[in-house]
Amino acid sequence: MGGRTDVLQGTLDMLILKALTPGPMHGWGVSRRIQEASSDVLQVNQGSLYPALHRLQYAGWIESEWGVSEAGRRAKFYHLTGPGRGRLEKEKEEWRVYVGAVEAVLQAT
Amino acid sequence: MRAFSRIRHLLRNVFAAAAADRELDDEIRHHLALETEEGIRAGLDPGEARRRALLAFGGVARHSEAARDQRGTLLLEDLGRDVRLALRGMRRNPAFAAVVILTLALGIGANAAIFSMVDGVLLRPAPFEDPDGLVVVWETDRASGTSHEPASVPDYLDLRRRSETIADLAAILPAERNLDIEGRDPARITVLNATPGTLLMLGVRPLLGRTFAEGDEGAPLALLSEALWRGRFGADPDIAGTSVRLDDVPVTVAGVLSDEADWGIRQILGAADYGRSFADRGASRVDAWLPLNPDPEAFPRQTHPVFLVGRLRAGVEAGAAQSELAAIAADLEETYPENAARGVNVQSLREVVVGPVRTPLLLLLAAVGMVLLIACVNVASLLLARGTARSREVAIRSALGGGRARLTRQFLAEGAVYAGVSAAAGLALAVAGIGLLRVAAPADLPAVGRVGIDLRVLAVALAVSALAALLFGLVPAAQTHARDLGERLQGGGERGGTAPRGRRRLRAALVVAELALAVTIATGAGLLVKSFIAVTSVDPGFRTEGVLKAELQLPATRYPRDFSVWPNWPRTLGFNDALLAELSSTPGVQAVALSGPHPLAPGFTNSFLIDGRDPSAPPLPEIPVRPISAGYFETLGVPVLSGGTFGDDAAPDGPALAVVNQAAADAFFEGRPVGRRLTFWGSSREIVGVVGNETFRGVDQPAPPAVYVPTAQAPQWNLSVLVRGGDPGALARGVRAAVNGIDPDLAVFGVETLEETLSGSLSRRRFPMLLMTLFAALALTLAIVGVHGVLSYTVEQRRQEMGIRMALGARPRDVIGLVLGEGLRLAALGLALGLLGAWAATRLLAALLFGVQPTDPATFLTVAVLVVAAALAATVAPALRAARVDPARTLQAQ
Repeated sequence: MGGRTDVLQGTLDMLILKALTPGPMHGWGVSRRIQEASSDVLQVNQGSLYPALHRLQYAGWIESEWGVSEAGRRAKFYHLTGPGRGRLEKEKEEWRVYVGAVEAVLQAT
Repeated sequence: MRAFSRIRHLLRNVFAAAAADRELDDEIRHHLALETEEGIRAGLDPGEARRRALLAFGGVARHSEAARDQRGTLLLEDLGRDVRLALRGMRRNPAFAAVVILTLALGIGANAAIFSMVDGVLLRPAPFEDPDGLVVVWETDRASGTSHEPASVPDYLDLRRRSETIADLAAILPAERNLDIEGRDPARITVLNATPGTLLMLGVRPLLGRTFAEGDEGAPLALLSEALWRGRFGADPDIAGTSVRLDDVPVTVAGVLSDEADWGIRQILGAADYGRSFADRGASRVDAWLPLNPDPEAFPRQTHPVFLVGRLRAGVEAGAAQSELAAIAADLEETYPENAARGVNVQSLREVVVGPVRTPLLLLLAAVGMVLLIACVNVASLLLARGTARSREVAIRSALGGGRARLTRQFLAEGAVYAGVSAAAGLALAVAGIGLLRVAAPADLPAVGRVGIDLRVLAVALAVSALAALLFGLVPAAQTHARDLGERLQGGGERGGTAPRGRRRLRAALVVAELALAVTIATGAGLLVKSFIAVTSVDPGFRTEGVLKAELQLPATRYPRDFSVWPNWPRTLGFNDALLAELSSTPGVQAVALSGPHPLAPGFTNSFLIDGRDPSAPPLPEIPVRPISAGYFETLGVPVLSGGTFGDDAAPDGPALAVVNQAAADAFFEGRPVGRRLTFWGSSREIVGVVGNETFRGVDQPAPPAVYVPTAQAPQWNLSVLVRGGDPGALARGVRAAVNGIDPDLAVFGVETLEETLSGSLSRRRFPMLLMTLFAALALTLAIVGVHGVLSYTVEQRRQEMGIRMALGARPRDVIGLVLGEGLRLAALGLALGLLGAWAATRLLAALLFGVQPTDPATFLTVAVLVVAAALAATVAPALRAARVDPARTLQAQ
């Protein structure tokens, strides 16, 4: 598991919003989606996942409702709101700018 | 949309915080379940899968905390939750809650009550304009060594005219009058004859009508007190301008004064060496004010009837006024022979009024503060004990991530809830206590009417409660210190082998401290009780048993006071004779007498000469002169020591006679006065006998010299009637019937047994004594509860040790001895510290003691024995419990 790494500080919100774009999902599913999409490289610190979900909900970017999971369990499902989609686009934009900038710095000799 | 969502969130958080928490818990449970399932799918056994899931998640509690912290209403919501938790805790452990609340409520209540008294009496300024500039000007007499005498009217006029340091000087003269209201029994009221400028000088404005002004001197006007106006005149708003009858004389009501206008009058009179008028009768209020005419013709230089209250010129200190007035007095002394040996004594009004009660009140405040400290110590000790019981819970919660700040906040909230409930209960106690205090307070306590729960008292009570809450919260919070978290998780807290040594020592120290405080208070109370016993066992020189006292005043209208023919006042003398004859034949009356002042009133003094004494010798001090009827000594059981007394034969025109007491015989006649003569009131009197001393200045004062003269040769318009017989009720009815039979318009007042009079004269001593005793009992009880608590706790803690000891052959006796020994050690330490404290503190009591030294060994010993006995009693139950420890069960339980 040496290849695993914690989600970079400040990017978790964006990853959660992205993970919710395919459709509503519960907390554990969100962490699974991130982990799978990153080929097990990104490990969502579970302890920061729920605070982040609540924070996003408080900000109005996602909403939640209780539903029944695939396994027939009662679970809380989160889905993106309109502002949440806008937010994701904005964060993606900022992230690309940031990555490009960092890359440029690293390329410079 | 976003704003809406946010509002919905906020609302949900506030109103459904508990539901939100449940959801969060459910969510986390769901997550853990899925994570665990995945572990199982990956081939782990279910337990390991669960463990890993938990590990991956981190502290459940901490994350739910952190998740909650993202919600916006954290503080408010936490507060609500903490209060609910505290209330639930109270319900779960009602005995603990009751003990804590009762202990704190007693402490807070007693403090609020006593502080309200200190506040009303000591702290609040006099209800006058610029009260700090007001002074009392006394006259002094170097010959008799008195420093608080009233002044003569000519001296008043001279001082007022000549002083530069005094801006204004008022003269007041206390008296009593019969108030006649049509169709009702005449009432006895207290009046203050005051120079018209007095109220203006004090800055007192009338509630109704007008105050006196320049030119009102001696006018038939009266200002009524608010209490009299409400009580007797139904608060008639149109009373100004109407007429009332005082001693048969019509007087026009000028207005009504607030009840606060007589602030300090009672205390000024009470501080005087003589001439205290109604203050000696226990009356504490001025019912009416009359305009005094300071006429030197009516009040010649050798009489000293008026009290002087002045206002210092702005910026002048009392000391400067003292020097200036003393110089004027010295000048007057040279000019007038009547002023020989007389000086002045300037005191601030505040000092005169409040000075005498400051020490007792502050001592009571100190004592009640110590009671509160003890209460807090007890509560802290209880908390430490409960803290141990809860330490596992606390340890688990902090291990699970209950943040330290969060736990502290919760304990503080708990403390606040307890303190709040205690404060409410305490204030209820204080309200009841203040009611009792106001009834029980001695009449000479100033401004008792102002004592009550006001904002300041409330603020102090709340501050005290807040401190208690802080203590209450911080003690258990300090216990959650992360340092010993592991120790407690491992040790298993309560049920473990031995208690943390440090905490046991802390509790022992707290108990020693509270015992020491209790011992200090108890010693002070013991000294006051012993003083009180000493005072009550003083022989007053007269017998009070079976004697009833009543008082009368003969109005000048029907009993003319023609001083040109005095003592030939046929109406007054006729009344006296008729009353004595009527009472003598009343069934049940064994003996009867009339006197001017009754045997517990100081009366008045006169200057006198001893016939044949060297006229150039230094002047003699004034001597109390006591007019009495023939049966006085017999009625009161005052022994005749040599010679005889005057009988019914003493007549106004017969030979002038006198009897002196032993003190006068020793002071002025080398013990052999019979046959010698003394002169006062312009006539020379033959001393026919010597009688025992009466303590008419109070049983705690040395009996002063006195000369007795027959009422037949010195008719009085202020009369005391003294009858000895059986049932006081029957005697009282007999006296009223007899007086009414002779003069139906006379008010009979001050009717009480002489024992009641004596007891009343001790109220100034009884009041602090009783309160201090109450506080000492409270302090000792709390301290003993503390000892019991700490020993019970120790026994509980050492149950296993005891079991091992007994398994190894220790007998129950040895185990009992072990616990008793610990109790005694605590008691001895507390006692030693307390006695040391008492030894240092009781000298503050010196002024309140009588016949007892502040370091009285017997009192110290009594307290020591009492405390050790009580501590032993508190130790017995835990010791027996220790002896009943079943070794087998204790060891199995491990």
